[in-house]
Amino acid sequence: MPEKIKITINDREYEVRPNQTIMQAADSVGFRLPRLCYHPKLSIEGACRVCIVEVEGMRNFVASCAYPIYDGMKIKTNTDELRRARRDIVELILDNHPMDCHTCERDGNCELQRLAYAMGIKTRHFEGEKKNYPIDVSSTSVVRNPNKCILCGRCVRICSEVQSVHNLGFSHRGFKTVVMPAYNEAFADTVCSNCGQCINVCPTAAFVEKNYTQDVFQALSRKDVVKIAQVAPSVRAAIGEDFGLPAGKNLEKETAAALRKLGFDYVFDTQFSADLTIVEEANELLHRIKTGGKLPMITSCSAAWMKYMEQFFPDLIDNISTCKSPMSMMGAMIKTYFADKIKADPKNIVSVAVMCCTAKKYEAARPELMVNGMRGVDHMITTREASWMIKSAGIDLVNIKGEEFDEPLGMSSGAGTIFGATGGVMEAAIRTAYELYTGKEMPDLDVKAVRGLKGIKEGAVMMGDKEIRVAVAHGLGNAAELLQEVRKNPDKYHFIEVMGCPGGCVGGGGQPYVGLNCVPLDENLLRKRAEALYNADRNRKIRKSHENPDIKRIYKEFLGEPLGKKSHELLHTHYKQHYPQGIIPGGGKC
Amino acid sequence: MHNRSLEVFGKAGYFNSQLRIALRNCGIIDPGDLDDYLNVRGFEALAKVLSGIKSEAVIAEIKRSGLRGRGGAGFGTGLKWELVAREKSDQKYVICNADEGDPGAFMDRSIIEGDPFSVLEGMAIAGYAVGSDKGIVYIRAEYPLAIKRLEKAIEAARKQNLLGKDILSSGFSFDIEIRLGAGAFVCGEETALMQSIEGHRGMPRPRPPYPSASGLFCKPTLINNVETWANVPVIVVEGAEWFSSVGTEKSKGTKVFALAGKINNTGLVEVPMGTTLRHVIYDIGGGIPGSKKLKAVQTGGPSGGCIPADLIDTPIDYESLGKIGSIMGSGGMIVIDEDSCMVSIAKFFLEFTQSESCGKCTPCREGTKRMLEILTRITEGQGKEGDIEKLERLGNMIKKSSLCGLGQSAPNPVLSTIRYFRNEYEDHIKNKKCTAGACEKMLSYVINDKCIGCGACKRACPVNAISGSTKQKHLINQDLCTKCGECYKTCKFSAIDKG
Amino acid sequence: MKTPLELLTDKKNAAAERLKEKGYLSKKRVYIGMATCEIAAGSKEVMAEFEAAKKQGLDIYLSQKGCAGRCHVEPTVEVVDPEKGPVLYTKVDAKKAKEIIQKHLIGGEPLAEGEK
Repeated sequence: MPEKIKITINDREYEVRPNQTIMQAADSVGFRLPRLCYHPKLSIEGACRVCIVEVEGMRNFVASCAYPIYDGMKIKTNTDELRRARRDIVELILDNHPMDCHTCERDGNCELQRLAYAMGIKTRHFEGEKKNYPIDVSSTSVVRNPNKCILCGRCVRICSEVQSVHNLGFSHRGFKTVVMPAYNEAFADTVCSNCGQCINVCPTAAFVEKNYTQDVFQALSRKDVVKIAQVAPSVRAAIGEDFGLPAGKNLEKETAAALRKLGFDYVFDTQFSADLTIVEEANELLHRIKTGGKLPMITSCSAAWMKYMEQFFPDLIDNISTCKSPMSMMGAMIKTYFADKIKADPKNIVSVAVMCCTAKKYEAARPELMVNGMRGVDHMITTREASWMIKSAGIDLVNIKGEEFDEPLGMSSGAGTIFGATGGVMEAAIRTAYELYTGKEMPDLDVKAVRGLKGIKEGAVMMGDKEIRVAVAHGLGNAAELLQEVRKNPDKYHFIEVMGCPGGCVGGGGQPYVGLNCVPLDENLLRKRAEALYNADRNRKIRKSHENPDIKRIYKEFLGEPLGKKSHELLHTHYKQHYPQGIIPGGGKC
Repeated sequence: MHNRSLEVFGKAGYFNSQLRIALRNCGIIDPGDLDDYLNVRGFEALAKVLSGIKSEAVIAEIKRSGLRGRGGAGFGTGLKWELVAREKSDQKYVICNADEGDPGAFMDRSIIEGDPFSVLEGMAIAGYAVGSDKGIVYIRAEYPLAIKRLEKAIEAARKQNLLGKDILSSGFSFDIEIRLGAGAFVCGEETALMQSIEGHRGMPRPRPPYPSASGLFCKPTLINNVETWANVPVIVVEGAEWFSSVGTEKSKGTKVFALAGKINNTGLVEVPMGTTLRHVIYDIGGGIPGSKKLKAVQTGGPSGGCIPADLIDTPIDYESLGKIGSIMGSGGMIVIDEDSCMVSIAKFFLEFTQSESCGKCTPCREGTKRMLEILTRITEGQGKEGDIEKLERLGNMIKKSSLCGLGQSAPNPVLSTIRYFRNEYEDHIKNKKCTAGACEKMLSYVINDKCIGCGACKRACPVNAISGSTKQKHLINQDLCTKCGECYKTCKFSAIDKG
Repeated sequence: MKTPLELLTDKKNAAAERLKEKGYLSKKRVYIGMATCEIAAGSKEVMAEFEAAKKQGLDIYLSQKGCAGRCHVEPTVEVVDPEKGPVLYTKVDAKKAKEIIQKHLIGGEPLAEGEK
């Protein structure tokens, strides 16, 4: 195979790498052909036909996303006929799309809107009947609005190809085609893991998160309650993007300040409870290793992962760490420890979590995670919802003067920070477990083997004479692959970290929509967000969870010891097999 | 081996200018009895290739015969075989596409019901030629009898060692299984068909990769239509020279057509390529009933085009039909007489393709819907200036931009009727008039002076739209009239004008 | 060792024997169109008539066949007299079937048919 081949685009010759599609080749020499259903991380659909080009010798236009180049290929990308065809195709999509841009969640951030502008659609020639389907609001996390769906199939593909959930598919034919779960079941009753990746990849607003901002605004206007917020690590690494700042800018202090301006009495840091999770989890791991408990131990921080595991890997429930997630640990501490401290009735506390996640909305409502009969987290809003509230309230996040988080649940170590990136929990846990097990300082705190965006990462750490083998998976598809391996080979690993979303929490389903010149799940973007967290870790004086003085304090004042009675009651839980609608335990018919 | 039908049916008008190759045994043998098939030189072709003909030579023979795919596109069969044979793979598949979906076309069903063994034999020969041991017949579940006959035929052939392991002690193994389709029209498209066999929703995928390189379960796959398969044993036995002596320069052999519509002898006809439409319609089909005038012929199924009466001397072959805006398709042939409205006809076919679109690609899913809306309003008297141009603009875009053959050909009925019957469209739009009187919503019924005031029409009208006293001329209230036509049928004095 | 062609010839001969045993050459053969289209046109009733006659002792070779493509004349019945050659009956119903049995098969005189 030659290293370069020659192709002609619009009468100009280019030398390009062979074995690529027309779109890839054109992109590599400075084009950016219009596109819609194409996504570099997903299989080729060839459905939208927006990326069509002319190839000499071919009777019809070809989809540049799908057609491979060959030496001597002559391509035209910009003829009058092509431009008109593309325009008409995009108009056809618009003609079956609600005309409510200015009241739409994705206004200003919609790929279809941008495309319509670029195609120069000023008049509508073909308007007619529009689809009209009920909107599914049954889920705690994801709202499905088929009326805005343009059937590009990205959600279908990410749900199966990346997340291995297979909850979405096309149904019906022709003009009546709809993307839906099996049997058009209400989303709440399906196998949906609530990860929200369908929201991230949707070019329009056919999938959006369930919006709780009005509930939060209402709570914030109440005088009779104490309003408390907590902020997840990856929120601060991404929220700036919603305000036009470049990706990778850490707005930790600005976010705390903005939330206080919104009306929260206390703003706590989920990184504190991440430290708490690590202390509990590292102790749990060592306990399992020492007492011959079930291994490998698998992390339980990711809410989407937990629902996925309950449905698809119930045989591994005993391997799941019993630790609650940092968000839920924080909720529990707010409603007990902190309520005591400020002498408030926990019933009069409204606890709001700001997370990068949509699945945490589901987690917050889980009955297993109740604290003395109350929810630990009353409302959960995503990064996007928080951005909107900040904008709506007229707060200048970009130029605001940063503020610190509140005591006593606001101080965190570098280990708590990196929770937001894939491999972060593992790295944090190793730092603590190493010292607990060996009694010695860890020589190099950076565990490089578990960093980065490889789907499944493996490593081994020598703790004294004991080798601890670990693995990290991000994205549910990778998790499924790793766990199949665990089923086959249960002794291969001691400890496994799983995050439901690609890239970990920085790639969560509640993160800002990507701007121009970027695609959802873009690796550079995920890397920049993660880098913001790793930089914060590097600059922290305290980089190990168990050395966080406020963690020491909470054990002394309240919890007693890791894995103790109080911990057990407030910080741990148990999961059970979960049956989606239509599946009867043990098989059989509905 | 191909002319026994004449012997049986005699030289009656219907048969004497037909040449039956694919249908050679249909209506002749007992499809449930392998003995009957063996008796008409069945499996001789397979035995011949297994007795020392190299697989390359088999492919060369098929190539020389000039046989082209009978499913619609007319791709060279031998070339297709060669492409699959060239691939190196641990597994290859041979598929029979029996997902006959064109409304009114039933030659595939007829072949499987009347002569299932010839299809199996054709597939086995291809299996030998391309190096595959696994055949699959994809057939729609709506053909229960065909499925039953096929199952029985496979079973019988296996028992006689004509399928299965080590066929006729030659060392070559080939077995066939049946997969049922749920009846989606688009599953006749090869990539959608394979998706369906794999258990997915039947939606086409972009090509390349072509099935010959990566088809079923990502393995090299040879896929041909039932009629194509039925031709194969004859070519092997009678030879490529004989086969290619039939037909035209680029289209060899015969083609089966399903003759339907306004024609005296409806049914399946198999004629040599190059036969004129006139010959098929008048000599074989017996002309048009009620001595009405021929207006057009629609060929190629729902995505074919309409050919006007003045072009019926066109020879039937792939190229000639393409040139005049139609296609061979799977062989549907619908005869249209002067009572039919060409706009309604176009709308009828588009309704079908529109509802059978898989919904994957935008031009086909959304575009055909808009075309249908425009056609609907034209036939309802709501057509607007510029509608014809919109239809042409959408139609041409859909043809060139759609993902698969369904979309690429769906606008054909509309574009071809505009091409040849533009005046009818204009009549509908500008004069709000359907000359054929077929568009109900544009009709009006008016009572003329022949009315004697008998009151029969008044009593027949279901919506009480007719008034008038006895022995006086009656009147139809046009605002109430639903154009049901009851009055027109009832009147014995030709006193009601329809138009 | 026999070649596939030779093996097939054996099979063919055996098949021909079996057909002969069933009376292929010695009896009048009756083929009823039994494709989906013919059945829809009513050929099952016709088949039932011939089966009943056979049960009552009519010595014929009764068989089915597929569709010859003549939709407008279905159901069809073909009677082959080994000596006289084939006769095709069209638009056959139970009544006409009875006539064919009586006149052609028993009486030996084919029915007068307008179109073959």
